[in-house]
Amino acid sequence: MKITSLAVVALRIVLVAAFLLLLLFQVMSMPGQFAHMAAEDPERAYLQWPLTVFAILELACVQVVIVSTWKLLTMVRRDQIFSRQAFVWVDAIMWAIAAAWTMLAVFFAIVVLNADDPGMPLLLVLMLTAGAAVGLVVVVLRALLRQAADLRSDLEAVI
Amino acid sequence: MPIVVRIDVELAKQKMSVGEFAERVGLTPANVAVLKNGRAKAVRFSTLEAMCRVLNCQPGDLLEFTED
Repeated sequence: MKITSLAVVALRIVLVAAFLLLLLFQVMSMPGQFAHMAAEDPERAYLQWPLTVFAILELACVQVVIVSTWKLLTMVRRDQIFSRQAFVWVDAIMWAIAAAWTMLAVFFAIVVLNADDPGMPLLLVLMLTAGAAVGLVVVVLRALLRQAADLRSDLEAVI
Repeated sequence: MPIVVRIDVELAKQKMSVGEFAERVGLTPANVAVLKNGRAKAVRFSTLEAMCRVLNCQPGDLLEFTED
């Protein structure tokens, strides 16, 4: 249990750092990058805002996962993780990953249709595969959490 | 529930109060109430053992099967 609480504290620090970094990317780095690319290549400047919105939304999905994980960690600390309320946040994580993956898949389709070299599509395929794996792991973990929650409520009925 | 826990009968025989029973068995009064009301879904053998010890009886004296 000691190592768990240490891991929880460490994870919280990582989550805060990740959230702030993502925020920095959303408000400064990404818009700046795409504005710079638009200025460099006026022919494709029309891509600036679609790409900016896409990047911000993808990162927002990651932020939903971060906030939900934070909430779940609080439940772990209070020994409330094996309860119905946990599924609110687990479902939020699942849907955020699904939304991010769907947006990435659409982006991938558009890129493949317009690509002139295989580098970018390959990178996107890698990201799609990794995203699918992470999402499916979450689905499996969710099922395990459900089993554990059911067992916990069964055990709590034992006198 | 067709299984009835007959704590009150044995308590009357031993002239023991519910509070004293709960304390000696190591149950919360709330859980004793659950047992008495027939709302219990499961009982640990260790709880049953403690109840038998305190009431000086057999499990059969405490548990009774009834058709609904």
